[in-house]
Amino acid sequence: MTAPSLDRRPDRTARQRRDTRTAFAFLAPFLLLLLIFQYLPLAMMAKNAFMDYSLLNPGAAKFVGLLNFEDMIHFDDARESLAATFLFALVVVLIVIPLGFVLALFLNSSLPARGVVRTIIMLPVVTSAVVVATMWNFLLDPSNGLINGVMSLLGLPRQPFLTSPNQALIMISVMTAWQQVGFAAILFLGGLQGVPKELAEAARIDGATRWQVLWNITVPLLSRTTLFVVVIMTVFSLQAFAPAFLMTDGGPQDSTNLIVYHIYKMAFVMQNAGYASALSVVLLLIVLGISLLQMWLLRAKWNY
Amino acid sequence: MKRLFLAVLAGGTALSAVPALAQDAACTAEPVTLRILRTPGNYPYPAAMEAWQKEHPCVSFEVNEVPFAQLGDTIAVQAASDDPPDILVYDGPNTQSYAKAGILLPVTDYLPEGWADDILPATRAEHSYEGEVYSPGIEQTTVAMYYNKSLTDAAGITPPQTLDEAWTWPEALAAFKACQQGDPGAPTVWGLGPTRFGNGQPGLVYQDLIYQRSNGDPEADPESSAYKTFWAMAPDGSTVEGYLDTPEAIEALTFYRALFNEEAVAPKVGIPNAFFDGKACFYIDTPAAGSALLKDPVIDWGITPIPYFKTPVVHTGSTTIGVTARSKNPEIAAQFAVDMSWGELAYMNVSQRGNLPTLKSLFDRFPVYQDYPMKVFVDQLEHWGQPRPPSPYFAQYDRVVTDAIRSVAFGGDPEEAMQNAEREVARAMRR
Repeated sequence: MTAPSLDRRPDRTARQRRDTRTAFAFLAPFLLLLLIFQYLPLAMMAKNAFMDYSLLNPGAAKFVGLLNFEDMIHFDDARESLAATFLFALVVVLIVIPLGFVLALFLNSSLPARGVVRTIIMLPVVTSAVVVATMWNFLLDPSNGLINGVMSLLGLPRQPFLTSPNQALIMISVMTAWQQVGFAAILFLGGLQGVPKELAEAARIDGATRWQVLWNITVPLLSRTTLFVVVIMTVFSLQAFAPAFLMTDGGPQDSTNLIVYHIYKMAFVMQNAGYASALSVVLLLIVLGISLLQMWLLRAKWNY
Repeated sequence: MKRLFLAVLAGGTALSAVPALAQDAACTAEPVTLRILRTPGNYPYPAAMEAWQKEHPCVSFEVNEVPFAQLGDTIAVQAASDDPPDILVYDGPNTQSYAKAGILLPVTDYLPEGWADDILPATRAEHSYEGEVYSPGIEQTTVAMYYNKSLTDAAGITPPQTLDEAWTWPEALAAFKACQQGDPGAPTVWGLGPTRFGNGQPGLVYQDLIYQRSNGDPEADPESSAYKTFWAMAPDGSTVEGYLDTPEAIEALTFYRALFNEEAVAPKVGIPNAFFDGKACFYIDTPAAGSALLKDPVIDWGITPIPYFKTPVVHTGSTTIGVTARSKNPEIAAQFAVDMSWGELAYMNVSQRGNLPTLKSLFDRFPVYQDYPMKVFVDQLEHWGQPRPPSPYFAQYDRVVTDAIRSVAFGGDPEEAMQNAEREVARAMRR
């Protein structure tokens, strides 16, 4: 006589099986689309990373093993582009997170003109990247730009904002932060409105100042939202393309050669699609790694 | 997957498709539709196509247009597909790249008798690869220096009007400085206006590589730096090493950098319509600007030949017409491309667009080019014209060298920029 297995799952009823089939039937179209448009291209990209080919003649592709990855080490372009991208992402996140949070606090208060401010900060988010880039090109023009005009009136020297290797990256980071800060503020506002008011009220009754409430209650309880905003902004910044494409062409001296723009340039201009695929694989791994690290570092210690 | 992607892209271009041209004449054979990919407003033009259809009543056309900025990307995807367009109207210097990739069909066997003697040498060089001609060529452009006569008169400057009196670059710089008005760094009138090409920033190979090339000598010993400076790439297209960072090139680029920095007579960024709005004394452009000014003379203007250091040189080239190697109708497509580029049909196409023809026999039929100011373009083309360095890697060369020259204009070190450019082009050529 054998003992009954303890880990044996109970038999599923016919209804459960039918429900599962129905669920899969509903999910199938979306899973199929995901497979065709997301995972199949990813698999092809991974395969192409080991090939040497041009988009003009993909039939002549040849297997080159790890050559494309060796090129990333041997030549400077990948390192320089990734360095520029990380710096760009860092500046964007460092501007967007505190500024977005402060704006969200304002929008969450009962101060006047909240509606106007909400509209003002959301406008850049919904404006086309082409329009924003063109507008900032005019603002930052070295001769006729508004910013240099004001600086000149104040007796300050004109600045080559977009033509200096030392300034161009910072300027496109500031522009991107300006465009994205509204999105961050709305996300933070959503988080703030989910924080129970009773906690702050109890703290105030116990004698805590507004600053102490903010620092010891609001900020910790918003850690999940903060994590989400940091990850979203980091990933967005690492994948930025429009500023380099529309404002600087990756220059001057490759100082704004953001990695996604560099990938595009390698594939379509330099006709080195295998190397572009290898760069894409590396970028995918980097973005995944950074996102996981941020999730671990900013994991929530508080629940409500 | 590839087919699906191509279908999506084809759908994108179809959004800008113009209606197909049908024909009235009776067709007694199998109907054929030739698919043409071109930029908006480019040839082949309806009048020439309809004239050709009278002789080929079974052929109709389906024309798709994409903006010039996306033309290279679109060709890269569509031409390598199983069902490419039959006819491409593409940027001429890419001929060798496309020929090497097997995208273009050689048209040598379809060329009419007398074509070889009639075609401009620069055009033939640009459109040939390994002994075969891949495009018959339709039109040519080159650049010259326009000037605002009211501003130059006010500054007491009389720019030369013939090639033998052309300025050297230092003489041109003196004129820029004398003519410029306003505060340094933010003048009300620039000495030399910005380009209208690309994003308006300096550095484009088409317009600015001629600075360093003109500091070389095509007749010098092939091993000398002067020879290599002029050609800017080995004449057989095999290498750029030692051709871009020569002492002569660095000297010319140091001068070029000064135009935008120490002398500050040219802006580093684009200013839309600067020359036409009277915000620049001098301005470098193709015949297109002259054609516009002849129709609507918003300013009093003239043309002076492009300045030089030691050897006058201007770049030639324009969009051109070719047949895809995988066309379903190669014979009739090749016949159409060649016919559009020859005789009366070529004249119809070129005259509508306003650039210069590639056939010497057609020059006489453009009265506007017989006399000053537009004659400067014809003279330059005949005596100074050189294709941009012909190579199967021109697209990569163009981008890398443009970035390098631009970095110099923005104040970078010429030697470092050109050494980097040589390295990058060599890397592209390695494949």
